[in-house]
Amino acid sequence: MAGRDFLGEFEHLVVLALLRLEDRAYGVTVRQEIEFRTKREVSIGAVYATLDRLERKGYVKSRCGDPTPERGGRSKRFFRITAKGAMAVNRTQQALHNMSAGLELARSSS
Amino acid sequence: MTTKAHSVQPPRIATWLVNLFATEDESMVGDLHEEFAQVGSRSGIGVARNWYWRQSLKTIADLVGGGFRSAPWSTLGATTTGFLLLRAAHWLPDKLLNVVTERYLMYWSNHFQAYLWLLNALFPAFLLTSLFTGCVVALIAKKREMIATMALGIVLCAMILFGYLSALAQTGDFNFLWNMPWAFSDPIAIILGGMVVRQFRLHAANLSVAKNEE
Repeated sequence: MAGRDFLGEFEHLVVLALLRLEDRAYGVTVRQEIEFRTKREVSIGAVYATLDRLERKGYVKSRCGDPTPERGGRSKRFFRITAKGAMAVNRTQQALHNMSAGLELARSSS
Repeated sequence: MTTKAHSVQPPRIATWLVNLFATEDESMVGDLHEEFAQVGSRSGIGVARNWYWRQSLKTIADLVGGGFRSAPWSTLGATTTGFLLLRAAHWLPDKLLNVVTERYLMYWSNHFQAYLWLLNALFPAFLLTSLFTGCVVALIAKKREMIATMALGIVLCAMILFGYLSALAQTGDFNFLWNMPWAFSDPIAIILGGMVVRQFRLHAANLSVAKNEE
């Protein structure tokens, strides 16, 4: 299955957040985007652990921004999805779609 | 309110703890600072401090889990090496102190003083051995110093607890439990060794960043 990897659940959420945020995607915005849309408390550590893993797989790339005073003089690290990452998210979306097609999820869970 | 929130620093101990587990990249701590300022502006400093502590502890838990998952074998290797080293070096403090005592026995006025010296020096000597082991484990584990030393510390704590509980079950005597807290000093010294190496590594990384900026 090499090169045909699917994204894990949290990896999927993080990549979708990167796609939504485009060039504004860094730790704070990614964390807040996931928290806002999923209503689930997420730690910045979980976001970075996932982004580092995705970067090692070649699914995302990062670059450093400028340091700002409200960050204690520390710089931001902006992330963007690569072509390989886009393929992985499409594959995962397709797999989820195929698995859920024809299922009436609301009725079957009741 | 915004100015006030910016001027108030987030809890330093929480930041220090996150830095022990985070990568050398400073952006994660910067993100925590930025959100602390945002929460402080919105809801006040008290809420922001609570938020910061909660986020820091969750972040540490996630970094420990993520760090172990990303390199399980090297972390396990460092932990096992530390365990074997600790077992192999366990006789060392005893032996060294015996050598010192025998060599300098003539300077003691009587044997009782020599015995007292041995008794007092043995505990720090064992602590130093554990501290040294912690440093070795941290050096082997590279950027996962705290994860490897904590794993070794937890294994030792579990062994100590098991030892005490089985002794208690066999004898039914609670009297020896008074020295139980001292038994945990070895795992604590190992974790301290990890902290020392981590701090040195962070300091070296900061120095190299400062040099590059010049």
